[in-house]
Amino acid sequence: MSTVPRMTRRRLAIAILLMVAIFGVFVVRLVDIQVVRAEELNTESLDKRAIGVTTYSARGDIVDKAGAVLAGSVMRYDITVSPRTVPKDSFIRGTGEDKVEITIAEAAAEIAAITGQTQSQVLAAFTTNPESDFEYVAQRVTTAQMREVRALNIPGIYPRQRPARIYPDGSVAGNLVGFVGTDGPQNGLEFTQNSCLASTDGSSTYERGADGIRLPGSTVTTQEAIDGGTVMTTIDHDLQWSVQQAIAEQALAIGAESASATVTEVKTGKILALADWPAVDPNNVNGSSADRMGSLAFSTPYEPGSTFKPMTAAMLLDQGVADPSSRVTVPYRWTSPDGAVVRDANPHPDQQLTLAGVLEQSSNVGISQLAVRLPNSVRYDYLRAFGVGSPTAVGFQGESAGLLSSTWSNQTKYDVAYGQGVSVTAAQMASIYQTIGNGGVKMPLTLVTGCKHADGTITDAASTEGTRVVSEAAADSVVQMMEGVVSGGSLSKALQIPGYRVAAKSGTAEIAANGVYTRDRVVSLAGLAPAEDPQYAVIVTFVKPSTIKTSAAAAPTFTKIMTQVLKTYRVTPSSTSPPNLPTTW
Amino acid sequence: MSAVPVALPPRSPRRQGPAPQERFPEVDPQQRHIEIVASRSQKRARPRLLAAIVTVGGLFAILAAQLLLSIATSEGAYEISSLQTQQAELARDRQVLIEQLQVLDAPQHIAAEAQGMGMVSSASTAFLRLSDGAVLGTPVAATASSALRTAADGSSLIPNALLGVVPLVGAANIADAAATASASAAATAAAAEAAATGAPAAVPGDPSVASTAPASIPTPNTH
Repeated sequence: MSTVPRMTRRRLAIAILLMVAIFGVFVVRLVDIQVVRAEELNTESLDKRAIGVTTYSARGDIVDKAGAVLAGSVMRYDITVSPRTVPKDSFIRGTGEDKVEITIAEAAAEIAAITGQTQSQVLAAFTTNPESDFEYVAQRVTTAQMREVRALNIPGIYPRQRPARIYPDGSVAGNLVGFVGTDGPQNGLEFTQNSCLASTDGSSTYERGADGIRLPGSTVTTQEAIDGGTVMTTIDHDLQWSVQQAIAEQALAIGAESASATVTEVKTGKILALADWPAVDPNNVNGSSADRMGSLAFSTPYEPGSTFKPMTAAMLLDQGVADPSSRVTVPYRWTSPDGAVVRDANPHPDQQLTLAGVLEQSSNVGISQLAVRLPNSVRYDYLRAFGVGSPTAVGFQGESAGLLSSTWSNQTKYDVAYGQGVSVTAAQMASIYQTIGNGGVKMPLTLVTGCKHADGTITDAASTEGTRVVSEAAADSVVQMMEGVVSGGSLSKALQIPGYRVAAKSGTAEIAANGVYTRDRVVSLAGLAPAEDPQYAVIVTFVKPSTIKTSAAAAPTFTKIMTQVLKTYRVTPSSTSPPNLPTTW
Repeated sequence: MSAVPVALPPRSPRRQGPAPQERFPEVDPQQRHIEIVASRSQKRARPRLLAAIVTVGGLFAILAAQLLLSIATSEGAYEISSLQTQQAELARDRQVLIEQLQVLDAPQHIAAEAQGMGMVSSASTAFLRLSDGAVLGTPVAATASSALRTAADGSSLIPNALLGVVPLVGAANIADAAATASASAAATAAAAEAAATGAPAAVPGDPSVASTAPASIPTPNTH
């Protein structure tokens, strides 16, 4: 060792020092980049390479009982512009021989022709904020329009996705389905079923190369897109349309203020159609007045009138205090022992009617005399059991419970027997007739059967458990008595459906305003068919008709709807004939 | 220091005494030939050429494979990108078609189409039982009053803003049927006229679509 020359040793030392120094510089730089400024540099570089993407997931559909879409999700597009990027005067389109120079004014006219705007509107978007990077040219254009605009190849014009909602059937079930506004779901099932329908948009980033191509394996998904669930309703959209068309035609003919109709499956409590007129078209919400956007059938209770009588009869029969042949002597005007006054609709000499006759003739006096055979508390309990005074199982947005006082005056206890002094919604009436038709077993009124998720599981399934309100014998007897209205009542001609046994009850109720009954009426018809084994309950109601102010106005529409129901569901004609119970004695 | 045993080096001449000559008397010093012979373990420890070639070759093969893979991947990236674009466009096509179908399926549209073809809805309930041909219920002929009523401006009473842009094809179809069917000129003219004016051909028994065999039993429309 001692033989190594000094010169060599020094050189070696310098080289090592140099190496250490250079290495040191690298280490410092490395630490600076990898540790000290790592965050900042990462963000900066990612911004240059990484692209964030939102994967839009679809809000769930609302479908009818057969799966026809009542509310669905579609993609619409906003045409946006970056005024900073748009050429100031003109740009060149095409290559080679096809090259043409397009001025910005021409480009604006081209877009306007596609989006249905004026050229100046489009130009305004280009020029109002010249330094802006983002302005809307047109919003919510269709895919076809977006493709046409894209094909124009105008620099600085970018289409953006914008999820939207469509209602293919328009105002068919529009009042039930509701709509989604700019601030989210606003009404109807869109609102109440939002937890089922809501979707979660996915987000991810990917990196792209210099030519804009996604680098393989660079995709980082931070949130998977989750589609919303499907709300399965019990509505039959074709039937719903027929019902809406029928009540609309008649409402216009008799000058009614509003109308509603329900079709209920008696055995299950499912609402097959629930029509309101006028109905909102969710595709064009601005075309309807604000008070027509909900469902009057759920939200607005009314005094039903005589359509209440079958329920009164049912409780009398169930308690055994009356039967279809129970006899009463019915004057036109009757003063009760406790001082109340009850009148029939039309003047008549004293009649000797059975309970069946009371229903057929719709005698207020007759049903009042029979109803008080039961104490008020028992009648009240029956009314509550039928669902009067509490919202139905549907739980519709803004649903009313109606009005049922728990203490009745001497007058009220008679009035309630024929459906005055108490108010119910059309939905509650549907439930009452379902109960009578179903042998006295009340099924929960159902509009939504459940929420079906993408993986096929169903949650929030509606209850299908029935409760008995009156005995089967009592309910069946009431249906037989109601057949008398069709076979022998004053509306018999309008209510008969050839080949079928139909049970029905009319109602002409007075509307109270400021504490007094006015000349305005609510006319309705409620019925069941086929009467030997009721399958469907139909109730038609017109509010404030101006030309015909009796239930004769509702009868033809009831028959039309019931006929349509029997046809639609292929109900075979009745093979037996109505019992024709004695109505007088 | 190597643990390998080494052959003894030749002795230094200084220490050379007479004894060695005596020790190897039979060996001629001129003929002594000492050669370092690798032991077996030494041979084993020596790097072999073949192994080196295989290792380096393998390394290059891996590098080449990686290069090819990466080329293939980036080729694939372009293909994926173009396929994704294609998929997005096809998804849009699908959505547009589904949307069209749903709107065409709207009951108002079907009703308006039917009316445009000269149909009215039947007011009676009667069924033909296919098993024995029995007619159930009481068939009643439809009348003009069964025709769909529309608003004063001809639009549906049950509005649907989406249908504003969908043209009715009923009139065109009837015109086609009129042109091809070999029915009587009067009947086809009446049908076409009814279709053209949008009025329902509500006369019972009047064929709204020309039929080649009017006397035969119509096919029951079962669902």
